[in-house]
Amino acid sequence: MAYSSWTTSFPEEVLEHVFSFLSSDKDRNAVSVVCKSWYEIERWCRRRIFIGNCYAVSPRMVIQRFPEVRSVELKGKPHFADFNLVPEGWGGYVCPWIAAMAEAYPWLEEIRLKRMVISDDTLELISKSFKNFKVLVLSSCEGFSTDGLAAIAGNCRNLRELDLRESEVEDVSGHWLSHFPDTCTSLVSLNIACLGSEVSFSALERLVSRSPNLRTLRLNRAVPLEKLPILLRRAPQLVELGIGSYSAEIRPDVFSNLAEAFSMCKHLKGLSGFWDIVPGYLPAVYSICSNITSLNLSYATVPSPDQIKLISQCHSLQRLWVLDYIEDTGLEILARSCKDLQELRVFPSDPYGAEANVSLTEQGLVSVSEGCPKLRSVLYFCRRMSNAALLAIAKNCPNFICFRLCIIEPRAPDYLTLEPLDAGFGAIVEYCKELRRLSLSGLLTDRVFEYIGTHGKKLEMLSVAFAGDSDLGLHHVLSGCESLRKLEIRDCPFGDKALLANAAKLETMRSLWMSSCLVSFGACKLLGQKLPRLNVEVIDERGPPDSRPENCPVEKLYIYRTVAGPRFDMPPFVWTMDEDEGLRFS
Amino acid sequence: MASKGNLTLKSCNGKEFIVEEKVAVMSTTIKNMVDVDDSFAQGVIPIIGVDGKILAKLIEYCKEHAEADEDEEVKSEEYLKKFDEKFVDELNLNDLYDLLKASNYLEITKLLNLLCQKVASMIKGKKPEEIRRIFNIKNDFTPEEEEEINRQNPWAF
Repeated sequence: MAYSSWTTSFPEEVLEHVFSFLSSDKDRNAVSVVCKSWYEIERWCRRRIFIGNCYAVSPRMVIQRFPEVRSVELKGKPHFADFNLVPEGWGGYVCPWIAAMAEAYPWLEEIRLKRMVISDDTLELISKSFKNFKVLVLSSCEGFSTDGLAAIAGNCRNLRELDLRESEVEDVSGHWLSHFPDTCTSLVSLNIACLGSEVSFSALERLVSRSPNLRTLRLNRAVPLEKLPILLRRAPQLVELGIGSYSAEIRPDVFSNLAEAFSMCKHLKGLSGFWDIVPGYLPAVYSICSNITSLNLSYATVPSPDQIKLISQCHSLQRLWVLDYIEDTGLEILARSCKDLQELRVFPSDPYGAEANVSLTEQGLVSVSEGCPKLRSVLYFCRRMSNAALLAIAKNCPNFICFRLCIIEPRAPDYLTLEPLDAGFGAIVEYCKELRRLSLSGLLTDRVFEYIGTHGKKLEMLSVAFAGDSDLGLHHVLSGCESLRKLEIRDCPFGDKALLANAAKLETMRSLWMSSCLVSFGACKLLGQKLPRLNVEVIDERGPPDSRPENCPVEKLYIYRTVAGPRFDMPPFVWTMDEDEGLRFS
Repeated sequence: MASKGNLTLKSCNGKEFIVEEKVAVMSTTIKNMVDVDDSFAQGVIPIIGVDGKILAKLIEYCKEHAEADEDEEVKSEEYLKKFDEKFVDELNLNDLYDLLKASNYLEITKLLNLLCQKVASMIKGKKPEEIRRIFNIKNDFTPEEEEEINRQNPWAF
């Protein structure tokens, strides 16, 4: 074959067609480096972009390279923002992105944001700029009110999805829902579970009634149980349902009305919500339990016996999120009943209480790991753990891709031997070869990081708190975990030496967060000078870091790869280390 | 000349194939020719730029699918899936390339889809240098240009 016939004599549309079957960013990126013509063709037909850090690239660069984007996903604040470690006003403003895209992408259809700040004005700009706008997902976002949502409802005529998961919305008025015009019949997914105040029920009912394609509906706590059957009868085609309040005085007529409405929803596969639950009403959902694959009871304070009754009917369950009220006995039943379980999250009902309020221990997780061979992802809050349990779990579930264990009391040792949990977590990384995400807790020495560096070859995200004894711990991770993209550390005795020795490694990662560690301001300056492709941000609410001795540890450090250079929207408590000046004032 | 209901297709190297019309018109290009000009239906349809070997392959594919479209009983979806898999698996790179070009020109949508997916599956999970090797593509970036794209790709997008 002639050299490069795959590039020169090939009609562009055929390659475009080929590339359309490549959905992963990694494959698209690989294609773009093959040769010049593939780069050109690929960039013109890339419709979806994912930007894992909104400061890693500028809107202008994105638009220049990919002129025909239809779908954008952007992430803002670091993950530790979920634990209130990122000060208010840090950044993550989406406004400059939307302003630029409004000019460049009139045909943009989808915007998905995570941990970003978005104003009502920006929501209005979205609603008016994109002619065929379809999907808005605001995940853990803030800065907006129901007025902004009213603009989206009123102006986006083809809206298919409005999802406000875990966002903080200022509730100005429950009437924003009535801004959806009567002609709007395109909704497929509506998630308003995070809203605090009441929404207009008549507007909601009308909207649901005229949305024949509605598959996902997640209500907020203010929607009363008595009204639920009305909505279910309007939308028997629902696949995912987030129930609002699940509380009412027990009355046979209310119960039978509810049970009958549920029994008509033959397609339901996911249930969530159940606020203020009155367990007596749970049997109303039994008729559809055999189809349920996803159950989120993390807002439902259900006593263990009632949970057990519910879960033991959900044989097809693949994903379960619960509060620790489920207890060890409940998890044992889960392990026996739900053989397809892939994901389990157990959240604490009383994380700040000094004593355990429920009987949930390491044993519950051991049971599930024994009974559910398909288990791949775990987030588990508990109060005690042992190396023996972790070893058993690792052996039972070698297919874990995500293992996040949170022992509530920091630096808690193996409760049986009082040893550190190094060996236990070591077993997890050793046996689970596909592990991508790991969160550590309990008493841990540098040894656990040696295990992680040796075995965690596919590890992409690692979260560490209150662990390690010295720089050696951090050094093992940075020098060993070759796939590591995100590392977040708090309250660990890691300092300059490990960071400076592995500075080049930081250029291969998306970001590093360190708070309450031992990194000095001097080292931060040095990193900024040595590595111009990194933004090295010092976050210190005590005032300018150069007002203290150079060897004084900084409060918080956030380092990330960027091709856009330093950002310009820093608040007064953020300083970025610049290659020339060493310190750039905002 | 082909009998009624049949068409004669002629490759660029002079090979003639008599095929049923329902098989030939799986190609939108041929369908349009026949629809617009009756003389094509009577005489010989030249398939420009497609040699006999590739044309035979195209006809093999279209025959299976035309028959399946006509009668689902005879050829189940599963049978077709197996046929498709075997069909693309047996192609060498040259044939794959020629068939892609031909099915694009002749607008045989199903086949084009199948072949494009095949090429995509050869790309998936590969590094740029592997892709270049597989398809015999010359890297025409300067080292600086390549470095710049590699700097952007993993971190920005």
